[in-house]
Amino acid sequence: MSYLFGGGAKQDTGAVDPVKMEMAVAELDMITDVFNRLVTSCHQKCIQPNPQSHRYAEGELLKGEAVCIDRCSAKFFEVNKVVGERMQAMGGTAQATGGFGGR
Amino acid sequence: MDFSQFNGAEQAQMTRLIEKKQMQDFMKLYSGMVERCFNACAQDFTSKALSTNEKTCVQNCTDKFLKHSERVGARFAEHNAGMSTLAREQTGC
Repeated sequence: MSYLFGGGAKQDTGAVDPVKMEMAVAELDMITDVFNRLVTSCHQKCIQPNPQSHRYAEGELLKGEAVCIDRCSAKFFEVNKVVGERMQAMGGTAQATGGFGGR
Repeated sequence: MDFSQFNGAEQAQMTRLIEKKQMQDFMKLYSGMVERCFNACAQDFTSKALSTNEKTCVQNCTDKFLKHSERVGARFAEHNAGMSTLAREQTGC
């Protein structure tokens, strides 16, 4: 997701810019976190709905499971986008009224 | 991620950091898989040894989870690639 923090001219001074590093680390952490959540959520929804029992008769992904994973990932990204947009809208309102909750 | 704007020292530090995080991720994946497959497969506590069924279940559970995470990873990569192309088109570079 380097499209979030892109820009800035390339300069080769040989020094480590701590701000730049911090941004990169935060970005990396965010991507890893989203990915791990995606894996957990879709595993729960498509492969193992009941965490306390599953017989696992085969180690291959079944056709239905594979299709479910594709749809699950697509849906996850869509939810990610919608929540982001809503939060942005809420942030805009909060800035206009001076606080969240709108009271 | 795009580290092309990073200088040599920054890239070296980033590489070390990524390696460290990969190690952490691997350990997390391992313990997560143990937990998941134990909960799903270990059902019978009349014996301390894993039964044949339980063992097969754990093996299948591990295989399936790795394949699952591979597939999700592929979809994730596709999505990210699409997003960065979109961003590049918008910024025009």
